[in-house]
Amino acid sequence: MKRHRARGLRLLTALLLVLPLSLTAADQAAKKKKAAPAATASATAVDPDAIAALDRMGQALHKLQQFQLVSDASTDVVLDSGQKIEVDGQVTYRVQRPNRMFVEVKSDRRLRQLFYDGNTLTVYSPRLKYYASVDNVGQSLGELAIAARDSYGIEFPLADLFFWGTEHVSKDAIKSAIYVGPGTLDGEAIDQYAFRQDGADWQLWLSKATALPQKLVITTLDDPAMPEYSARLRWNTSATADAKTFTFTPPDDAKRIEIVPIGVAVVETGEGK
Amino acid sequence: MRSTSSISIWLATALLMLGGLAVVPDADAQRARGGGGGHAAAGGHAQARSSARTSVNRPATQNRSAGANAGSRNVNRSNTNVSNRNTNVNRNQNINVNRDVNVNVDVDDHNHWNDWDDHPFATAAAVTAGVAVTSAVIGSIVNSVPPSCVTTVVNGIAYQQCGSTWYQPQYAGTTVQYVVVNPP
Repeated sequence: MKRHRARGLRLLTALLLVLPLSLTAADQAAKKKKAAPAATASATAVDPDAIAALDRMGQALHKLQQFQLVSDASTDVVLDSGQKIEVDGQVTYRVQRPNRMFVEVKSDRRLRQLFYDGNTLTVYSPRLKYYASVDNVGQSLGELAIAARDSYGIEFPLADLFFWGTEHVSKDAIKSAIYVGPGTLDGEAIDQYAFRQDGADWQLWLSKATALPQKLVITTLDDPAMPEYSARLRWNTSATADAKTFTFTPPDDAKRIEIVPIGVAVVETGEGK
Repeated sequence: MRSTSSISIWLATALLMLGGLAVVPDADAQRARGGGGGHAAAGGHAQARSSARTSVNRPATQNRSAGANAGSRNVNRSNTNVSNRNTNVNRNQNINVNRDVNVNVDVDDHNHWNDWDDHPFATAAAVTAGVAVTSAVIGSIVNSVPPSCVTTVVNGIAYQQCGSTWYQPQYAGTTVQYVVVNPP
């Protein structure tokens, strides 16, 4: 009897000792819960409607059999000092699916033309009068964009246009997707969306009428200066082009030179290390 | 007080940077060393370290630093250029705005459209003026040649001849660069 009571007392004491502790812990956990959502919600929320908008845009892009696109874009370049320099330029695309493309990239600092006739990719500098051509660079425009980048270091501006709506896009990359709201761009009704993924925050302005992207802004997060790329896109989906547009015919004073493939350099780098 | 001093520091930095840009001999010295372009940043030149990405999708990405070395492939003609290549490996975040011997034209996230090769930063023009004077190392690479150079085609291959120095132009990505070669 006596022993029992003693045990009971001991138990009670133990509980009393433990209880306040656990209460405090629970309290703290609750407090954490209250604070956490605000921080994580914005970082992880993926609005299915925003993803659906991406799909709609992808389908709209994919459906375009031919188009002309003029894009006025500004690109931030970060100097070693951290200072940002903005470079403005204009990109003109003429595209005929499945595999013909002409691109002209013009800025104050550079002028380049790229031709792809379904077989041969040519890069040409009208000012320097040099051109280089390579064959077998992908069956589709998406494959072309990947092959040109991975094999020759040629990065097509707005390459996303050839990836959206294809198997080349991984939606898992998107960590956050929100609908910012409706608006207008030069009188055209649009919806604005914002996305986050590793290394980049980006925004899209999609036409309500066509679902085609009217504006794209990409903020690069890898550099603390967070350089920004901003492109306004103007579509002409009824534009036509003949075969000559996509086939490079060298002017008399143009000289052919080599383009350095990247694959070989990779091997050498390994050896060099 | 604090803000004043930080402003003056900023100013000093800016001035140093501008000064660095204008100092031609420095760049020439680097060129003479053949592949010292990687050091240019330390001297305060306006070298770009990165630029904004122009696309968000990167399907089937391979190691983009490879691009930094793409141009160096042909560089491997002398010992100097081996070190040049190593420099690039360590600095593959940079475009070579300064247009030195360095080859880091191809960069991680870069589109190359905004390099300054056709019409570079105004100050860089002064830098290149020294090219013909300096004895160029065979295999080293510049992103432009002096206007006095003459385009010459030998056996179907285009060269830029600048006095006794011969350059062979090539594309690295969409950037035209010039490799110093033996006279054909």
